[in-house]
Amino acid sequence: MSSGLVQNDVDGYGFQRPSNFNHGEYDAFMAEYLPVMTRRALRWEKVIGNASRINKSRTVKRFCRKGIPASLRPMVWMSITGADVRMESNPHLYQQMLSANHDRELTETIEMDIHRTFPDNAYFSNPNDNKCLRKPLYNILISIGHRNKTIAYCQGMNFIAGLMLLIMKDEDKYEEKVFWLMDTLINNILPDYYHPDMHAIQVDQELLGELVKWKYPAIHTHLDHLGLQWCLIGMKWFICIFADVLPIDTVLRVWDCLFSEGPKILLRVALAIVCRNQEKILKCKNFSEVTDLFQEAVVGSDSLHCHSFLKCMFEELGSLPMARVNRVREEVKTRV
Amino acid sequence: MSQRGGAQRPNGAAQGKICQFKLVLLGESAVGKSSLVLRFVKGQFHEYQESTIGAAFLTQTVCLDDTTVKFEIWDTAGQERYHSLAPMYYRGAQAAIVVYDITNQDTFGRAKTWVKELQRQASPNIVIALAGNKADLSNKRMVEYEEAQGYAEENSLLFMETSAKTAMNVNDIFLAIAKKLPKSDSGGQSGQRPQPGVRLNEQNQASEGGCCK
Repeated sequence: MSSGLVQNDVDGYGFQRPSNFNHGEYDAFMAEYLPVMTRRALRWEKVIGNASRINKSRTVKRFCRKGIPASLRPMVWMSITGADVRMESNPHLYQQMLSANHDRELTETIEMDIHRTFPDNAYFSNPNDNKCLRKPLYNILISIGHRNKTIAYCQGMNFIAGLMLLIMKDEDKYEEKVFWLMDTLINNILPDYYHPDMHAIQVDQELLGELVKWKYPAIHTHLDHLGLQWCLIGMKWFICIFADVLPIDTVLRVWDCLFSEGPKILLRVALAIVCRNQEKILKCKNFSEVTDLFQEAVVGSDSLHCHSFLKCMFEELGSLPMARVNRVREEVKTRV
Repeated sequence: MSQRGGAQRPNGAAQGKICQFKLVLLGESAVGKSSLVLRFVKGQFHEYQESTIGAAFLTQTVCLDDTTVKFEIWDTAGQERYHSLAPMYYRGAQAAIVVYDITNQDTFGRAKTWVKELQRQASPNIVIALAGNKADLSNKRMVEYEEAQGYAEENSLLFMETSAKTAMNVNDIFLAIAKKLPKSDSGGQSGQRPQPGVRLNEQNQASEGGCCK
């Protein structure tokens, strides 16, 4: 598209960069981020050695918060979620699901979304390329839908499985691994989120509103005045667990924590977005300004700098006691 | 600079008022709701448009004689299970575009269900337009123009066949809606949720409209 000096238009994960991509800022971020991750990788190696599995521990939780190095991410994700154990105990299940007779409606629904998943990504855009991930994506979604009859397929799962594929694609049996990771996500980590009634996900939007009111009362009052309901903004955030929402490196860091600690992380991410944009939110004069602000904030520079974003999620936000979260969740359940 | 493919943009300063309307797009998955909005707001078309999750929010402004009409557009997800979320987006909307795909009879049936729901549950004065999209694929047509037109007439809907790909009738359908919406003179503040045909404080809005400067 552009002529003259060609900068890298595709990022390390195969995503096409937008035409207004700020290379200067990204390079500055990477110059700062790469050494951090290299240091982390050394620390991880010391802990893991050449083990093919790790057990959950306080150290592992702390390490996950600081980021899993790219080379270890597939193994650590499989391990901390327990997907690896489930895969080993059910060695033929994926093939059975894949070769079963699939429901026609399910097949059609999924097929419709395959070419609409990351259409700008190099690994999804060209079906003639033998590295193209469209077929594996279809295989995983159809097998998940066949195994989980109630959930079947919820739009948004395509982006999650798609991103998992981009991370796992160089692994042995990567298709089967992503299947188990997805299966663990929808059944163990976020049970109910992908249920057809979408109740749980709406409850968590309301819950987010209550937590904003608790942590940032002035922001809550202002957003309320502008007529903004969280479910208008946050639905995609939660359904896609921030895939195709936040910048990719930030999403991966979020998933590192989500897989290690569970769903409360999603609330921390949403609160961090609020926390990092407080002044801008208060300056918004109307509904469309604040909606635009959130749409820009998730892709903007405050979100790109994943290290300080994660720091905000845990340090600046302060404590988010599970007892309180659960109590408020029960309260809001009655009004959704 | 920008590739805005806005509707009619008569030159000259806007003397009159600025009205703001909430518009929602509804319809079956993959009929082209996001593509219609992308064409209208940015003048662009992507052969493979990402599936919309939840809903996307965009704004675009059109000019009608002495009135600037600002659309706040909610582009919703089409999958059936997102249906329960739809009232959240059409609540308080002054206009809706119900979209179907002319090459798929099922999507027309689904569009009728949406129209019924809007007539029953949305604001009583909502302006509803029916858009038969993918009109460029008329060799694969499964929904006859006359059939949809007849249905639209019976239900007092605006009706056009559109193509987000070729831009056919895209601006026109939004413009037709803008024409049909009541432009009330009652005052309103920009900080509030939009009221039907609210007239905004022009100082606040003039810089973001993008037309009629």
